Parts: sequence; structure tokens; C-alpha cells
Amino acid sequence: MIDGIKKEKKNIIKKPELLAPAGDFERLKIALHYGADAVYIGGSLFGLRANAINFSLEEIEKSVKYAHSLNKKVYVTVNIVLHNKELKAIESYLKKLDKIGVDAIIISDPAIIKIAKKHTSLELHLSTQASTLNIEAAKFFKKQGITRIVLGREANRDEIKNIIDEVGIEIETFIHGAMCSSISGRCVLSNFFTLRDSNRGGCSQICRWDFDLLNEKKEKLEGEKPFTFCTKDLSQLKYIKDMINDGITSFKIEGRMRSIYYIATIVGIYRKVIDSYCNQIENYEYNLRDEQILRNCANRDAVSQFYDGTNDYTCQYYNGRTEISNQDFLGIILEYNKINKLVKVEQRNYFKVGDVIEIFGPNTLEKVELKEIFDEYMNNIDIVRHPKQIVYFKISNEVFQNDLIRIKK
Amino acid sequence: MKIMIIPSSLDMIKKLINKFDAIMIGIENMSVNMPNFYSYEDFLDIYKYLKENKKEIFIVLNKNMHNKDLDNLKNIMFKLDKLDITGIIYYDIALVNIKLENNLKTPLVWGQEHLTTNYMTSNYWNSFGSDYTLVSNEITFHEIIEMKNNSLSKLIVTVFGYLPMFVSERHLIKNYLKTFNLNDNSKINYIENKDNVYPIVDNNNGTIAYSSHILNGIDYILEMREHDIDYVLLNSFLVDAYKFEEVLDMFNNVNDKNRQKFKEKIDKMFNTDSGFLNKETIYKVKKND
Repeated sequence: MIDGIKKEKKNIIKKPELLAPAGDFERLKIALHYGADAVYIGGSLFGLRANAINFSLEEIEKSVKYAHSLNKKVYVTVNIVLHNKELKAIESYLKKLDKIGVDAIIISDPAIIKIAKKHTSLELHLSTQASTLNIEAAKFFKKQGITRIVLGREANRDEIKNIIDEVGIEIETFIHGAMCSSISGRCVLSNFFTLRDSNRGGCSQICRWDFDLLNEKKEKLEGEKPFTFCTKDLSQLKYIKDMINDGITSFKIEGRMRSIYYIATIVGIYRKVIDSYCNQIENYEYNLRDEQILRNCANRDAVSQFYDGTNDYTCQYYNGRTEISNQDFLGIILEYNKINKLVKVEQRNYFKVGDVIEIFGPNTLEKVELKEIFDEYMNNIDIVRHPKQIVYFKISNEVFQNDLIRIKK
Repeated sequence: MKIMIIPSSLDMIKKLINKFDAIMIGIENMSVNMPNFYSYEDFLDIYKYLKENKKEIFIVLNKNMHNKDLDNLKNIMFKLDKLDITGIIYYDIALVNIKLENNLKTPLVWGQEHLTTNYMTSNYWNSFGSDYTLVSNEITFHEIIEMKNNSLSKLIVTVFGYLPMFVSERHLIKNYLKTFNLNDNSKINYIENKDNVYPIVDNNNGTIAYSSHILNGIDYILEMREHDIDYVLLNSFLVDAYKFEEVLDMFNNVNDKNRQKFKEKIDKMFNTDSGFLNKETIYKVKKND
């Protein structure tokens, strides 16, 4: 009986799409190289990350060609809240995206549905900014031609499953990255504090500022740390198995402004976990070391929050803006010479002779103790201290271009 | 142009009954951003009184709905549909679907707070039974007028009160108190930054933070009237009842001669500003903009 269920489950499991952010073409290549099935990018207009280095139409075209050559997809965010003055430009922009052949656009303002349906054949995904959390709203958008909904981050597991079962529409949910403290779209702290429009790409993360908290008599409440709106990051690593079983179509990683190291690490770990579960359901085991790598990469605590109902005081972050930049990322592999076994590296953080490092990539995981390091002229050096410094060291097993190096912990 | 208010109490409704045309009422467990919430049964008493006095009633059902809220939501919408309600203000699109699928007659008010920023989207929701739009507080006076000139829906524009700037399902005050083992039973808290103090409320539905200043839009009233803005909204949240009455009197009686005097008077009564009516927010893309 149990075997039968397992067999049946194995047959119906559909491997979800792993969807990664890309702030520029380099990060797009890294995301796809490390195992993303699709990337989402912002155009220079109408996207919600004004500070990310956004893509021009030419760059979008180049990205789509590159991704399609790997049988992968590119989605373009067109998810700002429109003001009157943007209405005229949107139609021609959508037509251009359609002509380029992007795989979908991610929208939040429903006025775009009508324009896109009338003038293009673009596939439409509804952004998490629309905060869809129930079957009635999902049904409405399905009727209007939305093919996929990125659910609000406040949805729990039962709600997600219920929407999938009742509405029959593709569902995308976040699996990793920063969380808004507010309901998406219902925060304009940036507008009030910095005059930057949070719903049009200007979010200045006021939620991470420190405030004094006062009682109703306006007396200060003395906590050990100041009040902030800030919450811990999201990580769904331990629930990947359940999310696959529940039939979520796409697993989304947050962070178009993140570094290539972050993207490579997060995408690589989730790729590994998704594959290892889907390829051998019966033998799948959760690996705590994967969780550790994710934690070290972001230097911020990451928990599940709404999905498993643990969105209580333990999800708050009261450290203010004290998180330190990541020093684990040591460099990028530029080449490997199979004959002399020398690997050419571009430095990202300080490392030295004697360090134990780990080289990782889509097909690489090598642990190495650095016994010798050479500079560009093949002189022995002890320390690699300069940003982007080119150095060499030896490694017996083959590694590949765009593999990354981190300190072994 | 009609005057709409958000009252803080039943006493206030009775005291001001001859000074407004329309009113917004919050319903328990279904509304956010309101000074108080009524059970459906309590609302029926208020409804009767308001109808006797020929007032337009707008019901606020503007929380984000989860599946578990849908039965209660449908129940209330069906009951309201049997009354003479001018409009139901919504944030969650579930209300649009419920209205359409059940052929409910009560018009809806597209009230997605910060998202109601352009006429095309207003017209989109109008085509699905939203006869009114509650305009975002973060657009300029010029944008409001442009919206009015191109919208099929009637517009409601906030002209007085604290403005909501953050809504969360998280209990941010309770979380802070628990983390640092503090006791405080305040109904309203405040957060302070650079000498500005912002009201913040943590209740059953989560946490809401408001602007540090009260919006005083009396200076724009005559132009709004001239451009046929349909409703102007005054919110009494955290405002003393007697002061709110005084403000309401001024908004009812403002004219060319007294508007500067009224503006200065309100500015002296409260910590005010003109919100975003004359301030455009920045929409900036670093590269390729």
C-alpha cells in the first residue's frame, strides 16, 4: 500500500521552475549557469527596483536570446503602480517586449492586462504586489487572462494548496530572500520619509531604520534595542519537499540587487535540493549543511514565517543596519589549465596561503588547502589582498570558468 | 461636491449629523485603517439613524482577505446588498469577484490606498462595478484633477486627517514588547525619528502606521469644487471631537475670502502639512531612464 502511494506520488510530481533574480547581464548568466530555469529582470522603465542596474531593450533582447539558447526563460517586471503620465508610454513598451519575445511580463497594475491583451500576445504573470491571498481574487484574475499568480507572502501552506486545487492556475511563491514587513503595496514609508515612491521602484527600506517606541502618553519604552519594522529574511529550504508535493509551479528567489556570489550560492543550493528530491523521492534527506551555507551567504537570519505560521516575534530583526558584508566569497575562476593544473582566479575578498577553500559550481565541489599562491608573473605570494587581483594556484581536479570560491567553514 | 467623514464615535456622528453628506463605517474583522469598527448588528442601528437623516453610507471592507475570511465576507456583502448602501470600499479583489459572480447591486469603491493613482486603472475597475475610486494620498493635486477629467468613476479625495503609510499583518508592537519583556497596554503607540512622531496601532488585524502630520487640504477645496471632485473626505482619527467639528465647519464654509484665514487656523490647531498635494514623489531609474 505504502509503496503504491509512493509510486503514485512519484508519477504525479512535477519539477517546479527555479526562478532567480538578475540585476544585470552578468548576474543573469550566473543565475542560469548555476541552475535557474528562468530569470526575472527589470527593464529601464516600469520596474520596481529603481536602484538595480536595469536592462535596456537591447540588453533584454540579448538576455532573451542567451536564455533561449539554453532552453531557459526570461520574465520582465512591469510592476510599478502607474501614474497618469506613464499611461501613454506603456503600450509601445509592451509591444517592444512582445516583439523581443520575452516569456512573460510580471505586472501589478491591472490596467496593463487590458493594454497587453489588446496589443500583444504577452503572457501575463501577476506580481506579489497585488497581494493575492484567496481563491476569489485568484479566480478573478484567471478570468482576465493572467496565467500565473505570484501569491502574497502572507499566504500559508493550506491557503496556497487550496488556491492551486480550487482555481487551477500556475502559482509562484517566494522561497528565499528579504521580506517586506508590510503587506506588499501597502507601505509608503519611503514616500513620507524620503519622497521616493516605494510603489514605483523607490523603496528606500525605511523598515530597517531605528525608531524610539513611545506609549500613548508619548513616553519612551526602553527596550534593549531600538524599534524597527524590520523582519528576518525568508528561507523555505526545509519545506521544498512539501512545496513540490503541493504543486507550486515556480519557486522564486528574491533579490535583483544581490551580488553574483549570493545568486550563485542560493540558486546552486536550491537547484541541488529540488533535483535531489525530484530524482529520488524515497531517499531524499534534508541536509543541514545546505542551510548553513545559505545563512553564511546572506549574513542575515532566514526563517519561514507565514508559510508555516511562525510569523511571530521571533521573526523580527532588531539589529538595525549592522549586518556585515559577506567575506566568505573569495573569488571567481577565470580558467583552468588541464595540463599544468593551474587555476586562474579573480579575487573578491582577502585570502592567504594556508586557508582551506571550497570551489563550487553547477558541477563542481572541491575542497582545497592553499599551499602555494602565484601572482600574474608567477611569483610566489602569501596573501591575496587586492580587489580583482589575478592570481593562480594549483588544483588537481578540473574546475570550470565561473565556478566560485568561498572560505571553507 | 459632497463632504464625507470618518467618525470616531457614535456620539460624533450624532453631533455632526447636519454637517456632512456621506460617511465611512468600518466593520469588525473586515476593515483596517479606521478609528473604530462596528459589529454588523451595531451597524444596523447606526444605519437606521443615518438613513433617517438621508446620509450616504460607505462601508469599509478593506482588509486583505484570506480564504478563511471569505465566508464571513460573502455573508456581510449579501446582507449589505439588501440595504441602501452607497458603496463598499475594498482593497482585496475577492470583493470584485463576489459581486460579479453573485450579481450584487451595491456599487464598489476601488480603495486600494496607495495604488489608486491613475485614471486608466480606475476605469478598469469601473468596468467591473466600481463606481467610485478612493484616490491615493500620494499623488499631486494636478494628478487628481487629471484623473477626474478622465475617470468614469466618481472620485473621493482625502483632504483632512492623519494618512496611513504602512499596513502589516504582523504585530510589530506586540512583537517588540515581547522580545524585550516590556509591559505596555497603550491603545495607540508612537514611533519617533528626528523629532517627528508617528502614530502606530497594533490591533487584531496587524499593525498600521500613520503620518506624523495631519493633512490640511483646505487650500485646495475651492479648486476641487471647480473641477467637480465628487467627494472630499475628512478623517477624525486621533483628532479631538470639538476640534474636528470646528474643522468640519471650516471645510463646509470655505470661500475665496476666508480660505487663507481658515488654512492658518487649522495649521495652528494641529501639526499639519499638505501631504503630497503639491509634492511629487520621485520615480527614478539609475541607468537608461
